[in-house]
Amino acid sequence: MIINVKDIKKSYTVGTQEVNALRGINLSVEKGEFISIMGPSGSGKTTLMNIIGCLDTPSSGEYELNGSLVSKLEDDELARIRNKEIGFVFQSFNLLAKNSVLENVMLPLKYAGFEKSEAVKKSNEVIDKVGLSDRLAHTPAELSGGQQQRVAIARALVNKPSIIFADEPTGNLDSKTGKEVMTIFKELNASGQTIILITHEESIANQSNRIITIKDGLIKSDNRGTHD
Amino acid sequence: MLVEESIKSAISSIKTNRVRSFLTALAIIIGTAAVIAVIGIGSSASKALEEDIDELGPRTLSIFPSQRKRGGVSSGFNPLVIKDAEALAKNTEHNWMIAPAMSGNRQVKYQNNNISGEINGYLPINFKVRGFDLGHGRLFTDKENLGRKKVVVLGSKVPGELKKSVKDILNQDILIAGTSYRVIGVLEEEGSTGWQNPDDDLYVPLLTASQRIFGTDRLGWINVGISNDTNVDYVMMTIEEILRQKHDIGPGGENDFRINDWSQFSDLRRQATGIFTALIAGIAGISLIVGGIGVMNIMLVSVTERTREIGLRKALGATHKSIMMQFIIEAVLLCVLGGLIGVFIGTSLLYLFATFNDWPFAMPISAIIGSITFSALVGLFFGIWPAKRAAQLDPAVSLRYE
Repeated sequence: MIINVKDIKKSYTVGTQEVNALRGINLSVEKGEFISIMGPSGSGKTTLMNIIGCLDTPSSGEYELNGSLVSKLEDDELARIRNKEIGFVFQSFNLLAKNSVLENVMLPLKYAGFEKSEAVKKSNEVIDKVGLSDRLAHTPAELSGGQQQRVAIARALVNKPSIIFADEPTGNLDSKTGKEVMTIFKELNASGQTIILITHEESIANQSNRIITIKDGLIKSDNRGTHD
Repeated sequence: MLVEESIKSAISSIKTNRVRSFLTALAIIIGTAAVIAVIGIGSSASKALEEDIDELGPRTLSIFPSQRKRGGVSSGFNPLVIKDAEALAKNTEHNWMIAPAMSGNRQVKYQNNNISGEINGYLPINFKVRGFDLGHGRLFTDKENLGRKKVVVLGSKVPGELKKSVKDILNQDILIAGTSYRVIGVLEEEGSTGWQNPDDDLYVPLLTASQRIFGTDRLGWINVGISNDTNVDYVMMTIEEILRQKHDIGPGGENDFRINDWSQFSDLRRQATGIFTALIAGIAGISLIVGGIGVMNIMLVSVTERTREIGLRKALGATHKSIMMQFIIEAVLLCVLGGLIGVFIGTSLLYLFATFNDWPFAMPISAIIGSITFSALVGLFFGIWPAKRAAQLDPAVSLRYE
């Protein structure tokens, strides 16, 4: 079991109002799963992803990642876990505009403290995997949206994370390039990579092998094997 | 590798906002330039002063005639005379060089050219005490002095003023107040000492000047050349003792002469220059701190603008420390670049100023290193707070910052 979430709650205070974004989530994820999390906006799916992506901590409840309790860790320890265990792919790619493809992909390795030569080697491998070896020195502005998202995927993969989190990864892409990106995710999953995808498009969610629907801070449904 | 990444990111950020970075660094540039120029000018000034003192040759005291007071009432000028100088010269205790002199303006004529020249009556030893060097010909001798010979040594600019080259005028006779004098030598250029320009003057033997030109044995001053390791106070006491006896001043009577120690005067000038330099440099230094506030301001803007980037870096595993380092390096780099440009401008200003004033160019390396270090410290100090704000951003929130 990679992820084991027990009764997680998260509440914020917005102005004078208390907002209960998550009201008791229980979830476990096995290695090699390809999960989609769906839900309308305001359902709490972003908050859930922030917590299981170690970007945020729950107000209460426990979260074990790879067998270690991460729900009570300090900021810098969370940063190390994000660096080592989690790869993020965002809707808006979030590449550094001034940096080349290679530098963008290398960034997590820099924070991990790798030697430069090793970082370059590892980065080249994953860039090759997403088919952008001939674009190493290009900046994001010189790439198409689909290529940019492939760079982001390479960056997510480069430190060999346990899980890949993708937040609406096809949201900014046309349907053709969206399909290409989904193909990459499916191939990665086929080679054993655990992937958690957040989407509101059913056609995208249907390509995963488990769909979790969130509503009002609770899991409404959890369906396995809708695909394959 | 992380440091390298931080520096790269800082350079890229400064490059992206070129105009903004330049304007931000401007206060640092101006501050550093001012500090550097002021310190440089101060040290060039004191070097110029030292060169002046060196030009005076060995350490020199000057004795001037002064007013004598009897019962609080001034009773006119009491002269220094040649006999006073002779009495001083007789004393062998101090191994000093007694250089009496008198001077006055007389008409100087050579062929059709007329000038009004400052005629100095000198002993041969005076040239040594003043540190004057001979350019052409020879100086006069003690024998020529005792013989009241009509010979003259010219300051380096005098031949030009008489519209003649050195070669044309050497060993010729010129007229001083209507009497003809043989030009036996021309001095090297000495340069102005501030209160005198020896290059414009003419020099004749003291006794010649006394009897043939001025008709008096009253001296303008007596220079006393002493070696640098001499006890000046003791020398002054000896001078007083001899002159008081010579002038018949009883116990309790005031001196009718005064003794100047030029080097003491220079020490004071040097001290004043030093204090003034420190003061102005300090004021200029304040503008560096004001510049630091500008840097802090723009760094806060930069942090806000780059909220998403910071969020991303944190999501990818950047720790508190590495985000802080990135922004502090950016602030320090901005200030150091400003400091370097400032040093360049300040040094150029000093160069212009020194050239213009004919001063030596003296820029202490310590001032350059010091002001760049200070700019770096300003960047460090004023970069900490913005960097801290960046490091404390919540990754989940900042990733979605629009």
